[in-house]
Amino acid sequence: MADGLLLIQAVADTAGAYRDFPVIGSRAAIWIAAEIHLMFAAFVLGVPIFAVVAEAIGIFGKDQRYDRLSKEFTRLLLIAYSATAIWGAVFVFFLSTLYPRFWAYLTAIFGPSMWVYVSIFFFESFTLYLYYYGWDRWKYGRAKLVHWGLGILLNVWGTLVMFIADSWLTYMMTPPRDITPETSPTSIKLWHAIMNHTWMPINIHRLIGNVVFGGAIVGAYASYRFLAAKTDDERAHYDWMGYVGNFVAMSALIVLPFAGYWLGREIYQYDQSMGITMMGGFMSWLWVIQAFLIAILFLTGNYYLWIGMERIPGAERYQPYTKWLLIVLVLGAIVWGTPHTMIADSRELVAMGGSHHPFLGVLGVMSAKNTAVNLMILATFLSFLLYRRANIRPVVPWAKTGTWIQAAMFAIAAAIVLFYGIRGYFVEAIVRIGYSVYQVGAVLACIVFVTIIDVLMARGAESLGAIQWGKMPARSQYALFILAVTFTWLMGLMGFARSGIRQHWHVWQVMQDTTPYAATPALGYASIMISTCVLIFLSLVGFIFWLGGLAEKSTFVPSTVEAPHVVH
Amino acid sequence: MWSINLRIIGVVLGTLALYTLIANKIPQMQSEVPRALALGANVTPEQLTSAGDQLYHGAGGCTACHGLGTRAPNLLTDEKGAGPIGARCAKRESGKGCKAYLFESLTAPRAYVVQGYEPIMPDMSRTLSPQQIWALIAFLESNGGTVDVTGSDIPASSTTSTTSTTSTASAGIAGGNTDPMTIIRGAGCTGCHKINGEGGAIGPDLNHVGSRLSANLIRESILNPDAKIAKGFEKFAGVMPKNFGTQLTGAQLEALVQFLSSHK
Repeated sequence: MADGLLLIQAVADTAGAYRDFPVIGSRAAIWIAAEIHLMFAAFVLGVPIFAVVAEAIGIFGKDQRYDRLSKEFTRLLLIAYSATAIWGAVFVFFLSTLYPRFWAYLTAIFGPSMWVYVSIFFFESFTLYLYYYGWDRWKYGRAKLVHWGLGILLNVWGTLVMFIADSWLTYMMTPPRDITPETSPTSIKLWHAIMNHTWMPINIHRLIGNVVFGGAIVGAYASYRFLAAKTDDERAHYDWMGYVGNFVAMSALIVLPFAGYWLGREIYQYDQSMGITMMGGFMSWLWVIQAFLIAILFLTGNYYLWIGMERIPGAERYQPYTKWLLIVLVLGAIVWGTPHTMIADSRELVAMGGSHHPFLGVLGVMSAKNTAVNLMILATFLSFLLYRRANIRPVVPWAKTGTWIQAAMFAIAAAIVLFYGIRGYFVEAIVRIGYSVYQVGAVLACIVFVTIIDVLMARGAESLGAIQWGKMPARSQYALFILAVTFTWLMGLMGFARSGIRQHWHVWQVMQDTTPYAATPALGYASIMISTCVLIFLSLVGFIFWLGGLAEKSTFVPSTVEAPHVVH
Repeated sequence: MWSINLRIIGVVLGTLALYTLIANKIPQMQSEVPRALALGANVTPEQLTSAGDQLYHGAGGCTACHGLGTRAPNLLTDEKGAGPIGARCAKRESGKGCKAYLFESLTAPRAYVVQGYEPIMPDMSRTLSPQQIWALIAFLESNGGTVDVTGSDIPASSTTSTTSTTSTASAGIAGGNTDPMTIIRGAGCTGCHKINGEGGAIGPDLNHVGSRLSANLIRESILNPDAKIAKGFEKFAGVMPKNFGTQLTGAQLEALVQFLSSHK
């Protein structure tokens, strides 16, 4: 086996395997092109998902505001699509010219799927054009339903495109085990290569991640338009739009870790050493940074909601609770960020007093971290719940009982999370891992059942006054910007983790990277690259937002119904 | 409007700067590429040990688990009075010298798993060359023991990639012993499978395997474990080593097949 690798290395070392890129080098060039393409792709795949949902709410809820909102999302898509395609082309040209041998290897396996990819991208583009330009033409009755069907079709194409591209990158991470350095790429069956270990977990993880990302970027767009608004009506519209974007991003974020667990488990099952490299090897500090970023997301997302409650009549009833929620979130963030079993040299181990801090180290294990993150999710859900019912007083006869049942559900879910968190310290690792399922199950069940009770309880509820959309302090809008930057940065960081665990392999243990850039860089260098990519991406998005403003005046239309109480 | 734009730019740049700063303040670790070693027959123990030291603390990635003593034994420090790995390696498996034990630990890590630890060690022959493996062995021996790796070990194992497995195959697992339970323990089967009251639950229980599979299918499962995956264990596809065909002697394989077939 090892000699086979040496042979591959020798072959790769021969002229023509690689070319370098001026000044920044080929790795940095590919990194930037791939990352920015991916960020735009996430945006253009995430936004259609909730554009089509918003359109459905507009159709079936007979609220024109949602239809207009959906159209405004889609208008952003048109320009973002071009940017996605441009960066995709840059990426492909860089890959084929800087890494020609590796590119030839990939095309030998995946060539036919690349042709299908291009075809679907073609269909996707024209479906988008039809969807957007047909908006006002197919506005009523059955035609509107056909238009909505186009939105669904757009999502189908987009999902297929993503699934195909995911098969290429997941093959690089987890090629089927029967494929060795000696295996000729032309002999590898396409479907065999596609159906690798991490293909479906990445598909699902990205599907949800795209919604989170799209929501965050739309939130930033709305906040920009809010800050630039000239009239109260316009400000109210973009305040509402920012709320919807944040709601979408935070709701999908709550589900995202579960998809992440699945992906992580599949990586471990495929190759323990790859899993250990990711979680406990040279990348172990990355997860402390991730915990810090997610803490920022939770705190900023909740902060935005709490400020938003100031513009809701009746919300003052719930304001005393926010400090307790803040305490839960801060404590949870501290626990989640506690380092444990980090890779360290002997000097660092001595300084720490062992592989972890002698006292605080007990908070750094998965039992404590899972407990912390589940309680943070519960706290965030409670913030949403308080926000939702801030301006209503339920009138159903069982309202008091319903509220007690909701409180009991929160208490039971928190108790289950704590029970299994503490019990996890006294059982073997394999049993402890299983406990996270019970903790997650309890939290999800609480979210589902409490929401159902809340929706039923809100029927015919007495209004304490409409939400004063637009009456938000400017600092709330900057919070939305922080959310967008943090989501984007987090995406870059997790992309580095996913790609970096291949270390010095183009294809894990099959095709070695023999360029001068083969070593996987430390987090400091990676963070500079990530920040550069985020800056380029956000600058381009800012330009797109500006173009969006030029292309059409605000799409604000006065609401035809009173601001809804249940779905804001 | 300009003041708003400047504030937005300030928030974006400030946030990016904060994250970049924090990421640069934490310990910086780069994942190095294992350097190809050119160690010939005249290599000295010092050269081997030095190369192994660099691999152990660098590109080999060993310290991710062995440096902490929680995921895997700490090899460079004392363990319950037995000393570092060089001092205790010859006492791990009866009848196996230090060099043979360390070679087995690196190339067939599931053959023997130290009590109290999970079988998480990867087969290092997938990522390291024979020269690198022997350099690691020399370094580990040097920690509390005597380095007995010589240049003659290296050419013998690096002439072809299968030399090491061929030499194992000629002797077979557990020294060619044909007692089925000795083979099962020696091959590390009980790391995942349960049989006769021993073993784990990662793979199918072998206690009644004879009632489920024919002798031919058992043989195929040993030689080509991913050909047919037992129902309910699909997620563990790829976990079972595929090199038993070269590790077991013919007599061992048949003894194992007969033994398992009789477990109905």
